Amino acid sequence: MFRLTTIRAATAALVLIALAAWSVHGDYLAREITAEIAILAILVLALDLVAGFGGMVSLAHGAIMGVGAYGYALANLAGLPPWPAALVGIVASTATGGVIGAISARLTGVFFLMVTLAFGQMIWALTFRADALGGDNGLGGIARPALPFVDSNDPLVFALYALLMLLACLLLCVAVLRSPFGHRFQAVHDNPARAAALGFAPERIRAQGFAISSMLAGVAGVLAAQHMQFVSPELMVWTASGEVLVVLILGGIGSVTGAMVGAAGYLLLKHWAAGWTDHWHLAVGLLLIAVVLAGGRGLSGLLERRRDA
Amino acid sequence: MKSTLAACLLATLALPAAADTTVGLLLPGSGNYAALGQDIEDGFRMALAEAGRDDITVIEADTEAKPQTGLTRARKLIMQDQADVLVGVVSSAVLAAVRDVVDGAGVPLIVANAGNDAATGADCSPFITRVSFSNSQLNRPMGEWMAAQGITSVYTLAPDYAAGQQMIGAFTAGFEAGGGKVVGGELTPFGKTEDFGPYLAKAKASGAEALYVFYGGADAISFVQQYDGFGLRDDMPLYSVGFLTAPLYLRSQGAAAEGVIGALHYLPMLDTPENMAFVTAYQAAHGGDLPSEYVVAGYDAGRLLLGALETGAEGRAAIAEALPKVAYDGPRGPLQIDPATNNIVQNVYIFETIKDDAGMSYRLLDTREQVRDAPNGCVMPG
Amino acid sequence: MLQHAALLLLISSGLSVSFGLMGFVNLAHGALYMLGAYIGIAVAAKAGFWAALLIAPLVVGALGAALYLGLLCRLRGPMPQVLASFGLVFITVELVRILWGDVALTLERPAILAGSRHVLGVDYPAYRLFIILLGLAVAVGLWRTVHRSSLGAMLRAAVENPAMARAIGIRTGSLFLATFALGAALAGLGGVVAAPILSANTGMAISALIPALIVTVIGGMGSVSGTILGALIVAAIEVFGAALWPDASAVLIYAALAAALIWRPQGLLAVKGHG
Repeated sequence: MFRLTTIRAATAALVLIALAAWSVHGDYLAREITAEIAILAILVLALDLVAGFGGMVSLAHGAIMGVGAYGYALANLAGLPPWPAALVGIVASTATGGVIGAISARLTGVFFLMVTLAFGQMIWALTFRADALGGDNGLGGIARPALPFVDSNDPLVFALYALLMLLACLLLCVAVLRSPFGHRFQAVHDNPARAAALGFAPERIRAQGFAISSMLAGVAGVLAAQHMQFVSPELMVWTASGEVLVVLILGGIGSVTGAMVGAAGYLLLKHWAAGWTDHWHLAVGLLLIAVVLAGGRGLSGLLERRRDA
Repeated sequence: MKSTLAACLLATLALPAAADTTVGLLLPGSGNYAALGQDIEDGFRMALAEAGRDDITVIEADTEAKPQTGLTRARKLIMQDQADVLVGVVSSAVLAAVRDVVDGAGVPLIVANAGNDAATGADCSPFITRVSFSNSQLNRPMGEWMAAQGITSVYTLAPDYAAGQQMIGAFTAGFEAGGGKVVGGELTPFGKTEDFGPYLAKAKASGAEALYVFYGGADAISFVQQYDGFGLRDDMPLYSVGFLTAPLYLRSQGAAAEGVIGALHYLPMLDTPENMAFVTAYQAAHGGDLPSEYVVAGYDAGRLLLGALETGAEGRAAIAEALPKVAYDGPRGPLQIDPATNNIVQNVYIFETIKDDAGMSYRLLDTREQVRDAPNGCVMPG
Repeated sequence: MLQHAALLLLISSGLSVSFGLMGFVNLAHGALYMLGAYIGIAVAAKAGFWAALLIAPLVVGALGAALYLGLLCRLRGPMPQVLASFGLVFITVELVRILWGDVALTLERPAILAGSRHVLGVDYPAYRLFIILLGLAVAVGLWRTVHRSSLGAMLRAAVENPAMARAIGIRTGSLFLATFALGAALAGLGGVVAAPILSANTGMAISALIPALIVTVIGGMGSVSGTILGALIVAAIEVFGAALWPDASAVLIYAALAAALIWRPQGLLAVKGHG
């Protein structure tokens, strides 16, 4: 069961404040990286919700996020203003995730992983081949949302906007986990026999959980499309989903705050190492193994040094 | 890329003297296209070194050949490093991603590889100048040439993505305009561990006179190996966009590449004083290896930039305006930029891959002089 | 098609051992396969193809054993395994780039297998016939090892209930070590054999993983016959899909995987108790 411990709340607040301070005082790149971290953190959070609390380890989250990004891009390019277009993107993601979840919910463990891989790759392959979606060259010319008083094209404004969205998703995620539905969702995973005895319909609950997670992935997708003002199938390929999973495990699976810690740690290391060597993958690989050797509970696990979760 | 940090430091520490020019190199340093990125960078730095100018700062950025990453890096070069000009871009998807940013910010981009027709066609921009090639520019003349050789039927193979479709489309148009007939073809799944066996079997069964393909990277090497392994050589000669047996891959392909005929904008064997000097200089620095067409594209990107700077151009707008006016005789022959599209106008060389005493080499069969893209939907803002 | 299935089987058999039999989520399988190809090329340059065919799998198997002893045996549960093996993929790819460069390499076919042979009325490349034979040999060898010796039973017992297995005298530690090394060696073998056809490049660490995962899972994990069936199914879909319905061929294989999993969640020929 999820518990919002003091240390978790403090970690989340600290990361958010640190990122906000860094983007206010930092240079252009700091602001871009902050936005990137916020978007990745939302996607990792979405995966944590199903993988960490429902045991549904998905390799389709990159594709589901991509559906949100393309939904936003297409609606916006068709003339819809950004906010309604964002709704289109999020609904598209939720629907896609809902369908995948409904079909796959009776599978567990590695079989669930493989079936989500299959669905994700189908979405990727169809997008890659669709001339109407720009094929492998993607779609550009996407607008950012209009915000009151400030200009979202300013990198600082966008970074803070993305951080606000991350905070909103974080609160939503906690609220979901603490709701009666959240308790049922976790019970179906933790103790299926008892959940069944209480009369829960496990497959339906799992499918609904996957749809909620896909909604969050859709938010990440819309933000990514707004940030880059460009979408391409590269968002959807399975290695992108694999990267999200790696960041989640790196940060600490099943802890909610691990998503933020993982996203920040991973992207900061990547940008820093890419600055001085072409072989920066080496540094990332060594970090992953170091984290595993340090106990395998991720970066946030190292912070917590506790055994609840 | 060890110099990147130093370059960053320099860029921030040194007060920008009036004439200093900052160049952002937008190339893949890791990922599938890393070898191409390295060649382009080598060529670009060779041009700068020849000119001996010390007022040009180069900042490298790894695009990983991923559009999203390329876009992030391009924005960083433009916004933070205040680059005056960007050079590079290997993958067409990255070019599509950065197109709006460079056009919107008014930063000149010299494209050193990506061949997407649209970049100097419907999506052209006064800030995008291409010194590599357009997909049509290489394939159309090859189609016409093959038809003129009396070949009447061809089977085509290419990877299933935008560039593959464009290359085969342009070839088909040229070949059929010349009276030939493409009797069949297949687009093979992109980016997989590729076993071409089933496709080669289909090509053989089609009964076409010749096989025309586009493959690059690891695919180029496996395709030639498998074509050789299937023993198609006697029934169905292999023609291709010249990348298939380019210098970068020929070392690995060895004798399997013998007899392949291709069309490309550069050949290391060209017998001109400019090319001889270039090849000698490159070989001296790279252990006797022949320069690839990617090295030349990087080199010409450097020459083009230097040419623009020599006119006294300074800053983004002036450089963008000066770039398309530069023309000179380089390693690949006479080179100019078409003002209607900002795409390069250049010779296309048709060559055969041969085996000689020194190993694998090329023999020039024909030259299409000064090939220019046909009108292609580009409207330059007046 | 048979040739394609045999090649897939050779590429996948290593994963079907480490992942299928042992339950180790080995995302580094593709990296071991890649190492097999590169080491094979290095050995072949000195001692020829046949030496490479023998030595490269041994070297990769030894590397696998060392990795297992030094790192992987300490990992419990799939999540640390995913993280560590992904880290190994990153590291291996960079090391290969540093050692061998970015340009793809090839391995020359041995002279005796160059050209084609006349079989059943058609000319067929000799090297591809060799792949079919080798694929058959690996399939039979693996099947005998797992199903016809006590090894398979011991392994299944050790995976499902390690404490009980130890109690009845199975040395689970060395058993897992040997199994993982065998999986790595098979991955290395796949790499050497594929190199003359597919060329060796740094992309193969990732690109080989998906077909290998599909082959291992579609037929049923923990079963050698499942892997063989998986290779045949995937090959059939790819070959006939490309011929009959080329527009959908990129999606077909994933649709088949999803359909197979939903229809028979444990795989088509699953061994009971896995999951």
